[in-house]
Amino acid sequence: MRITLIPIMIAALAGPPLRADDDTSLQFNRDVRPILANNCYPCHGFDQTTREAGLRLDTAEGAVAELESGSGRAIVPGQADESILIARILSTDEDERMPPVDSGKNLSESQRETLRKWISQGAPYEQHWAFVPPQRQPRPKVVNDAWTRNLVDPFILARLENEGLQPAVEADRRTLIRRVAFDTTGLPPTRDEIQQFLQDMSQDAYEKMVDRYLASDRYGEHMARQWLDLARYADTSGYQYDQERTMWVWRDWVIHAYNQNMPFDEFTLQQLAGDLLPDPQPQQILATGFNRNHPITIEGGVIDEEYRTEYVIDRLNTTATVWMGLTVGCARCHDHKFDPLSQKEFYQLSAFFNQLPERGLNGFDPKQRIVSPLAQPHDAATLAKIKALKEALAVAQRPVDDQALAGWTESIRTAPASQWDVLTPLQMKSTGGSQLTQQPDQSFIAGGANPQKDTYEINSTSQETGITAVQLECLTDPSLPGGGPGRHSNSNFVLSEFELVAVSIKDPANRKSIKFSRARADYSQANYHINNAIDGSVAGNNGWAVDGPTRKQSATAMFVAAEPFGYDGGTELQFRLRHEASFATHGIGRPRLSITRKNPAQLAFEPTPEAIRRIATMEPAERSAGETAEFKAFIQKELAAQAKRLQAEISQLNPTNQYPPTMIMQDMPTPRATHVLELGQYDRRGEAVPAGVPDVLNPMASGSPQNRLGFAQWLVDPAHPLTARVAVNRYWQQIFGTGIVKTAEDFGTQGEWPTHPALLDELAREFIESDWNVKSMLRLLLTSATYRQSANLSESLRERDPENRLLARGPRYRLDAEEIRDQALAVSGLLVDKVGGPSVYPYQPAGLWLELNNRPGLSKEYKPGQGNALYRRGMYTFWKRTVLSPMLRTFDAPGREFCTVRRSRTNTPLQALLLLQGPQFVEAARQLSARMMIEGGESPESRISLGFELVTARQPNPQELKIMTQLYQERLRQFQQNQETALNMLNVGESPRDTRLDVAEHAAWMAVARLLLNLDETINKG
Amino acid sequence: MDPVTQSKLIENRRQFFGRSTTGIGSLALASLLNPGLFAATGNNDKSQNGLAGSPHFAPRAKRVIYLLQSGAPSQMELLDYKPTLKDRHGQELPETIRQGQRLTGMTSGQKSFPIVNPPFKFQQHGESGTWISDLLPHTAKVVDDICVIKSMHTEAINHDPAITFFQSGHQQPGRPSIGSWFSYGLGSENADLPAFVVLLSKNTFYQAQPIYSRLWGSGFLPSNHQGVKFRSQGDPVLYLKDPTGTDRASRRQMLDSLAQMNQIRATEIGDPEIQTRIKAYEMAYRMQMSVPELADVSDEPQSTFDLYGEDARTPGSHAANCLLARRLAERDVRFIQIFHRGWDHHSSLAKHIPVLCKETDQGTAALITDLKQRGMLDDTLVIWGGEFGRTVYSQGGIGNYGRDHHPRCFSVFFAGGGVQGGISYGKTDEFCYNIVENPVHVHDFHATILHAMGVDHERLTYRFQGRDFRLTDVHGKVVKDILI
Repeated sequence: MRITLIPIMIAALAGPPLRADDDTSLQFNRDVRPILANNCYPCHGFDQTTREAGLRLDTAEGAVAELESGSGRAIVPGQADESILIARILSTDEDERMPPVDSGKNLSESQRETLRKWISQGAPYEQHWAFVPPQRQPRPKVVNDAWTRNLVDPFILARLENEGLQPAVEADRRTLIRRVAFDTTGLPPTRDEIQQFLQDMSQDAYEKMVDRYLASDRYGEHMARQWLDLARYADTSGYQYDQERTMWVWRDWVIHAYNQNMPFDEFTLQQLAGDLLPDPQPQQILATGFNRNHPITIEGGVIDEEYRTEYVIDRLNTTATVWMGLTVGCARCHDHKFDPLSQKEFYQLSAFFNQLPERGLNGFDPKQRIVSPLAQPHDAATLAKIKALKEALAVAQRPVDDQALAGWTESIRTAPASQWDVLTPLQMKSTGGSQLTQQPDQSFIAGGANPQKDTYEINSTSQETGITAVQLECLTDPSLPGGGPGRHSNSNFVLSEFELVAVSIKDPANRKSIKFSRARADYSQANYHINNAIDGSVAGNNGWAVDGPTRKQSATAMFVAAEPFGYDGGTELQFRLRHEASFATHGIGRPRLSITRKNPAQLAFEPTPEAIRRIATMEPAERSAGETAEFKAFIQKELAAQAKRLQAEISQLNPTNQYPPTMIMQDMPTPRATHVLELGQYDRRGEAVPAGVPDVLNPMASGSPQNRLGFAQWLVDPAHPLTARVAVNRYWQQIFGTGIVKTAEDFGTQGEWPTHPALLDELAREFIESDWNVKSMLRLLLTSATYRQSANLSESLRERDPENRLLARGPRYRLDAEEIRDQALAVSGLLVDKVGGPSVYPYQPAGLWLELNNRPGLSKEYKPGQGNALYRRGMYTFWKRTVLSPMLRTFDAPGREFCTVRRSRTNTPLQALLLLQGPQFVEAARQLSARMMIEGGESPESRISLGFELVTARQPNPQELKIMTQLYQERLRQFQQNQETALNMLNVGESPRDTRLDVAEHAAWMAVARLLLNLDETINKG
Repeated sequence: MDPVTQSKLIENRRQFFGRSTTGIGSLALASLLNPGLFAATGNNDKSQNGLAGSPHFAPRAKRVIYLLQSGAPSQMELLDYKPTLKDRHGQELPETIRQGQRLTGMTSGQKSFPIVNPPFKFQQHGESGTWISDLLPHTAKVVDDICVIKSMHTEAINHDPAITFFQSGHQQPGRPSIGSWFSYGLGSENADLPAFVVLLSKNTFYQAQPIYSRLWGSGFLPSNHQGVKFRSQGDPVLYLKDPTGTDRASRRQMLDSLAQMNQIRATEIGDPEIQTRIKAYEMAYRMQMSVPELADVSDEPQSTFDLYGEDARTPGSHAANCLLARRLAERDVRFIQIFHRGWDHHSSLAKHIPVLCKETDQGTAALITDLKQRGMLDDTLVIWGGEFGRTVYSQGGIGNYGRDHHPRCFSVFFAGGGVQGGISYGKTDEFCYNIVENPVHVHDFHATILHAMGVDHERLTYRFQGRDFRLTDVHGKVVKDILI
């Protein structure tokens, strides 16, 4: 009997024979299982709770067993007519027919025939292909052997020849270098890089070009950027107010790991279980941030355990998706409907991730400060400073002997009573309307109205010159709330900024803003260090505070001028104490100002007490034992304070302290029991289960630890059927646009059949046997003849294989959001090539954050950065999960609220608007056009060619040249008539305009540059 | 459908947001943007595509306008009149009623649960005699057009999971929003506008709950199905305006040159995506005209502002957004959603809730009246409601009373789109604490909205990670009793 099983195209797309032989016989995995899984397994599969009529069709035993009804067997191998299954799927009686009408499922004619033929052939079952470890594959025989370049190609070619297709010609060199540059670095090639490649006539010019890019630091960024989607990395915590978190040090780790070409097994072990390695190093602990990137809630009313459970399950789901391509989440509430994974096994897996000492609400701990692997070593000046500080510390820590006492006696005797001259406030004003009342001690008390924000403007005068520092005492007063130093009901204050302008009394035109080089305080609240009061910023809640609620004591700050100041003939001192934090009514209650001419390094906050000064005037022999002890105690206290200050300064310079704490993994000393959760709900605990891996996969090696480390080792065990396949499939997807298994996130039975199963196995084995060498794997793909094909396609091929699954042409698809941005910055010369570090805030339309989330104290306004921060690569854009940057969002970047394996690739008018009119792109066009004018010679043609080559890597053809020249000339004519329009055109963006360029010409070239940045060719990799 | 037909379809079709090039979504999208064409191919592979043949049956509603009241309005103060509370004011909520079910972390430590009688009057209105609070005088005038569902209930007790549940059928992030399901399932009726538009009201309540773009996100659906925000601040659609001040003629000239360049490339490469991109640029150009036109209400007569209130002249007000929603509905935008925040009144409820009512009441009622006058209410489903209800007992003392989150019962209302007017559905007990009749779960709510739009909620599916996902998960039943 001759049956056309499936329309030809579907068959072609569904995949070639697993072992490249006979294409006509049915294969269970390829042809039959998808039909059964999709239509029958929901009621006759692995999940016993929903199994109907006791029949399971996912195993041969189940399928051939006598039915409960006693009416026969669902499947009688070799005898389709005897098989109840066939009778039921063919039945015309709606009550009889399978699948049932109300399931919404329906078998097609060809599917019914497939099942019938399969049973006739003996109904052979096979283990799902992805659960069988990959094996090396024989090289397929091909006719056009000369075309092949490496082990990838015979597999691709065999399939093409089988389908009666021919590979495309090799793409030209310019196309190739642009393709390779994007695939390895995410950036377009520079002109120098293009020239170097074009001029290299050696046999292996192409391979050398690939190797140059793989060696670039840009490679690590590009690879890391894609890993961040999988790792659901973001700069905010996701739920509700979606506040900032700092995990960028972990991101630095990923960039570094890729640039070091860390083997994938090591990359896996460190990220999943670096903390459990023997003698774990800080960098290995840092790596474990991978599984802390999930969202964390701060919503007041949540139930702790509910969210802690979500985090554990997120870790498992993400890890299983990324490393195994398994949708284990389906087994959270019940046994998996399609894959052999029981609910119990799901919770056994979750036990590996359930051991963290964490909470559901505000569950950010554990955290640790760890140095970024990208940190630069200290420069000589810093090293010298550390050395000096350490020496001073050693002195301060010396025991107080007679000689030391003598020295102190002398210095206290000669020291003035106070080092500070108190200033008399002459004019006092509160911008917020507080009542400022001068006190006898020259302090003043703020009373009356208590405004949300307030600035005290205090004027005083001094006859001194060479003033070195200013002191601000924040005194307490019984009239203030809680008798503390601040005006808020909790006794606190936040001094956002401390400013001083010195004006010559003789010549008021002579004035200057005093720059403070450093500040010290006798007390600063955590995260509200005194330095915040002189950093020039009042953004967010940046300022100095003193733990008013708990401390309620006065506090003193000292501000050291960058250079001494004070005019001959007297100086008017105009102070501004700014209180602009979003915390309302946080003014200082009773400030007092003073100045000094002393060397700031020797200044103490408090004058020496009178009693001590008296003892110092006595000869040591005259002192009583009590006085000697008191004197010594005072000196010991002073030294201790000095030592503490020095230690703090040394600590500030310690590299570790220059990085924010980052979330890490950790296991509790006593393991937490893990239970099966009925229906997946946190409060419905079933049986307790030990950690373990699913039965269907390879067992954990004997003797391996039953924890995350053992689990990670199990993943990278060469016997694991999934890890290597899933990883290489993602590399394939990265390079060719679609994976060999298109459902890169699902290798289970519902996943799509691989287009080239043998190739996938071969690549997986190659990867394992290369010791998981990532660069080698990419190099293999990039140097294949398959990759080097031209992407041009004929109409017939387009109809035959619209998605390019067979690869009879090279890959062509739209660049990712970050690549589109990075390219515009790169070709315009704006790109800042700093690697790593905190996220940045490029241009963004105003109001996007606050319109969703505007609660004082919990929400933040988006403040665009300045200077270099505007021109970093897209991967460093601040990733706010609930309001993603519109540039990223418009070009399909995910919000990263969960692991994303494949981004959408859409083609919308919103993208057109962004590329045409987004300030970043308009500014890039301005700078690109300046480059065209400056570097592109004198003729319009040569300038156009330069710009065109920058964005496409090729030269324009005459027709293209003509269109662009015309555009230029027409716009030039318009701009020459209207200079103002031209200037408007050149006005967008923070970077300065090159004013040497003629305005009308520049604007006209800018119109051409905007066209260049919008070309389909520019935003595609081809 | 085979890929050949598929790719032809893609090229043949006009559509707003272009196709997804992942291939997965393009099949689905292709189908419904041009259902007739799709049906002609005779495809019936429903497993791959939940859209074959949809709408699955004749729809009553062609579009939805969903006024989401974020923060959870109190049902006792507004729609679910409980006359007997007056006698119980200050009394402890009986344990037999509370039944010890879970509370939020905010009141679970509270020793006492004193009942608070709302200090606002209720009156009967309309022919139907529906009881409505005096806080909603305008809504009171349209009671004969609305159906109040008093027996809504949900599973979540905190804002983020609850509003995510209402918007996507799941408490955790990751699923497509309801509007994106419609965009995916039914496509766009207007070639120049997206199928799903989101409008945000300006918030005035200092403790308002935030919202998140996932609420109109596309989850695992192709990202062209996400809602498009029409903003009241800056450009109505992001980057709509040319910041260089380039005039329309010059923009046209540039686009013409760009199209020529892209056409040359298309001829050489043969990639159909290039044609799609050329069309996207044309659409963008048209939007620069059509969107400001749509957002500009200066062509509305004074009678419009008499109806919606003068507030409707203030961009970003609820009234202005209601008016904009009507203008979008006139242009056949499929799913329009307004988010109004500020209903989360844990304390001083009696002080805050009148403010929120004042902000929203007139616009809501005006929208219903306006649609009716234009003959559009029959095929436009208007929905009003929050993400859960509030407790009958006070959070804190009964003086400056507030109410905590209450998922067990709350009220929402529907108008038009094939839903009966002038009725109430479902009942709560006299404490307004438990449902005693006809509970409506969030999944049922979704199933009913889909049904009104002609979609069988069990058949609108999308295959992701091997599973055919639905908005209603594996639950949901249509509340047929309220349909005409």
